[in-house]
Amino acid sequence: MALRRDLAGSRRETPEKADVERETLDVDVLVVGGGPAGLAAAYRLARLNEERGGEPLIVAVLEKARAAGAHMLSGAVLDPSALSELMPDWKSRGAPLDLPVRDDRIYFLTAGRALPFPITPPPLRNHGHYVISLNRLAKWLTEQVEAAGVDVFTGFAGTELLYEGDRVVGVRTGDRGIDRHGERKPAFEPGVDIRAKVTVLADGVRGNLTKTLIRRFSLDAGRSPQSYAIGIKELWDIDPQRLAAGSVIHTMGHPLRFEEFGGGFIYALPDGRLSVGFVAGLDYRDPLFDPHVAFQRFKRHPLVASLLAGGQMVRYGAKALPEGGWHALPRCHLDGALIVGDAAGFLNSMRLKGIHLAMRSGMHAADVAFRAVRENDVSAGRLSEYARLVEAGPIRRELYPVRNVHQSFAGGLLAGLLYSGMSLLTGGWWFRDPMPAHAGHERIRTVAKYFGGAAPPEPPSAPIDRELTFDRLTNVHYSGTRHDENQPSHLLVADTDICRTRCMEEYRNPCTRFCPANVYEIVDADAGEGKRLQINASNCVHCKTCDIMDPYQIIDWVPPEGGGGPSYEGM
Amino acid sequence: MILVVAEQRGGALNPATWETVAAAQQTGESITVALVGADVQKLAAELAAAEVAEVLAVEHDALEPYTPDGFVAALAQVMEKACPELVLFPHTYQTRDYAPALAARLGRVFIPDCIASKVRDGQRVFVRPMFQGKFMADVLPQGPAPHFASFQIGACRADACARGAAPAPVREAAVEIDAAAIRQRPEAPFKEAKQAVDLTQAERIVAVGRGIKGQEHLPVAQDLAKALDAELAASRPICDSGWLPMDRQIGSSGQTVAPKLYLAVGISGAIQHLVGMKGARTIVAVNKDADAPIFEVADYGIVGDLFEVVPAIMAALEGEA
Ligand SMILES: Cc1cc2nc3c(=O)[nH]c(=O)nc-3n(C[C@H](O)[C@H](O)[C@H](O)COP(=O)(O)OP(=O)(O)OC[C@H]3O[C@@H](n4cnc5c(N)ncnc54)[C@H](O)[C@@H]3O)c2cc1C
Ligand SMILES: Cc1cc2nc3c(=O)[nH]c(=O)nc-3n(C[C@H](O)[C@H](O)[C@H](O)COP(=O)(O)OP(=O)(O)OC[C@H]3O[C@@H](n4cnc5c(N)ncnc54)[C@H](O)[C@@H]3O)c2cc1C
Ligand code: SF4
Repeated sequence: MALRRDLAGSRRETPEKADVERETLDVDVLVVGGGPAGLAAAYRLARLNEERGGEPLIVAVLEKARAAGAHMLSGAVLDPSALSELMPDWKSRGAPLDLPVRDDRIYFLTAGRALPFPITPPPLRNHGHYVISLNRLAKWLTEQVEAAGVDVFTGFAGTELLYEGDRVVGVRTGDRGIDRHGERKPAFEPGVDIRAKVTVLADGVRGNLTKTLIRRFSLDAGRSPQSYAIGIKELWDIDPQRLAAGSVIHTMGHPLRFEEFGGGFIYALPDGRLSVGFVAGLDYRDPLFDPHVAFQRFKRHPLVASLLAGGQMVRYGAKALPEGGWHALPRCHLDGALIVGDAAGFLNSMRLKGIHLAMRSGMHAADVAFRAVRENDVSAGRLSEYARLVEAGPIRRELYPVRNVHQSFAGGLLAGLLYSGMSLLTGGWWFRDPMPAHAGHERIRTVAKYFGGAAPPEPPSAPIDRELTFDRLTNVHYSGTRHDENQPSHLLVADTDICRTRCMEEYRNPCTRFCPANVYEIVDADAGEGKRLQINASNCVHCKTCDIMDPYQIIDWVPPEGGGGPSYEGM
Repeated sequence: MILVVAEQRGGALNPATWETVAAAQQTGESITVALVGADVQKLAAELAAAEVAEVLAVEHDALEPYTPDGFVAALAQVMEKACPELVLFPHTYQTRDYAPALAARLGRVFIPDCIASKVRDGQRVFVRPMFQGKFMADVLPQGPAPHFASFQIGACRADACARGAAPAPVREAAVEIDAAAIRQRPEAPFKEAKQAVDLTQAERIVAVGRGIKGQEHLPVAQDLAKALDAELAASRPICDSGWLPMDRQIGSSGQTVAPKLYLAVGISGAIQHLVGMKGARTIVAVNKDADAPIFEVADYGIVGDLFEVVPAIMAALEGEA
């Protein structure tokens, strides 16, 4: 259904360069982000429109990817509980959930061996779950949402929130057609102001809009700092005989050391397609740690290498995930806005699952937004019903018992495992509750501190053969990433002098290691004297790691021109 | 009454004019067409073939060549006399240039780039694309008539313009224009020079990469290109730094080429570069790193410092000549 609005007469209110005339679009509920959280919210709203009758609410979804689902990267093993409630008839609607988990194993890896855990601890069991591609699920959900009468604007990124006083009243989309010097190109097109009674922020992990909102209103006051991990993943085509479709493998241990949090996953999709990934906590202390190298080393472990040998890597990508859990959730309701999904941090890091919680939070938000708009009261007080639904429902039931898991891993793998086991007995209580947590960028040590002043040993590396292991640039090629090259950099580094002076000295430029797409390079300065930071912004796969992990917090990720970014077909 | 503003230049009608007349005919209302210029009688007669009530020839010496001030002044007077309810323009560059000023002068709304109009709840609304054509918005003009709208080229077909049984009357509409008040003095139209290079047509290409170290060393590669009668191209970092224009970039976000000879100097051979040149018949690579991936696609590889190898190649070429 096309959106039909009367546009004339409506004019922007925020002052700016006089010659920019923006179009304005009025909707009742605007959802920013077409991931599982945002799409579940939109679908629920469409259903409510149908069920409750009356003048239907106008709902729109903004998604920065050019095509639906193109920025989706996940494992993924799906717990279908939320989907089944959202859409009981998902099967007959052709949902791409066709592969139940059939076999579920966990290994502890040493450098050369894989030790199976004798039993899979109950929270890690995946009975009744599905091995899926989140990219396909999001594409399908987008179709359902559109068929239900919601407009999904793909290729448009929300760059700014619109306010009236302290009330959120919508989102401004990014201008198009600005060149790298900030000048207008012939095809310049100003962004659009989409005004909404309620704005649902579903912009994913470290969402750029949610981030500004949390800062502006200190929504995280009194909460534990959010902690994150980075997941790097490849899709492989292998001989289907090697691993039965529906097999799920998780690993701990090698190549990580006890002090690092994370592990590997291998999920077998149909037709010999494997989803192979590695998650590393973004709270490591070793400044020379390199998640991309860790992933290569993981693939070289005999357990993994024997599966991949002779196969073909077909896709690559990376994305951060929030791991702070219950204690790190910010306040998610405010005047005119709600925060859902990974943007808020609804992810169970012990199960490495967030899709069903993202959907669930989206559904709660939809219920509350619908009622609030109908009652003509979108104040924070009215929208706080959302927090009550989260508290009283399945989200808290799942997240509260594991509230200290990630924090306990900060004490190292053994402590973490011990805790994870114990917490099942104590219902999540630990010696300190909430356990103290530090933001990841505060845990990273300087080279001098970490190595105690000694010359650091050669960091572990992995030979690159471009068959099993890949360099970052070759990998990025397989992410399908594209941006218009002639646009301003969307990675704003507040002070690049720090990079070539303090950071080089103190941390040896960790951005060149934690960025999985080779966006940051330290190159010879033009005059041939010293070094400088080179930012290859068009390589960026939108994983948000740099925004999270840079030790000086001077990198700001903002959306590039709408439509730019990876193309995660099948991820 | 609907006023359609026709467009002409150099004795020929802009064909988009017929499209706009066709759009106006679809409303079923009475139509007047206005044609502005210094000597437009002949073209006005041409326009009179359309099924319209009347054609206005708006003539004044100061209206040739086109200037936004002149057209705004002329059309403002036409409108005061004719009192149309609606004014339609073809959405041409010229319309984009002066129609907003005209609308502002008269304090009327202007809805540009429409693809259709229709009546909804007894009011005329205009349909125009939004979000890069993903959605269609119905725009309801507000404020006093006349409302202005322009129609996208191709929104209506020119051959859909109905012809009248007999030619419509052509009437001269006198306007007064103070030539001194026209602030623009147009020069002869020109076309921007076409892209200087078309690398896809080049038989030989010398491509330079970050191995060249600094812009001051570029002549090394330029001289080599000259000696080989080749075009100069580059990897992304070189164009990114502005050392060479972006249209000389080879690779996935630049040009894809397949010359007879591709000589890569100081280029590592990242996959994004390779996809732009691996179709070359003969690939020669100069790189000091024997493990550089460029050697995987090269037919001839020279492992060495380009600042030594390139002069040696030049010397050999000179020896030959
Ligand atoms: C490696 C990895 C493995 C995982 N494995 C699993 C698993 O097996 N099972 C599981 O349940 N969960 C898993 N997860 C977690 C799960 O993928 C997330 O919890 C889930 O995707 C969160 O959904 P979301 O809608 O909140 O955010 P996202 O899925 O991140 O969606 C956010 C969307 O918003 C868009 N967006 C962001 N900013 C803007 C903006 N400014 N304007 C417009 N659009 C914007 C993005 O492009 C994106 O499409 C995994 C995550 C990772 C990284
Ligand atoms: C989405 C995306 C799109 C891209 N699009 C393009 C594209 O269109 N085109 C493109 O080229 N790249 C593109 N890239 C970038 C690409 O990945 C590489 O970063 C780039 O090609 C590297 O350029 P280079 O070989 O000049 O530099 P480098 O990789 O730095 O290589 C320099 C080479 O010079 C050698 N060298 C140094 N000194 C000397 C010397 N004195 N003598 C001889 N050799 C020397 C070094 O050994 C090295 O191999 C893209 C990347 C992405 C992610
Ligand atoms: S620049 Fe930042 S967001 Fe982009 S890929 Fe690198 S780390 Fe991720």
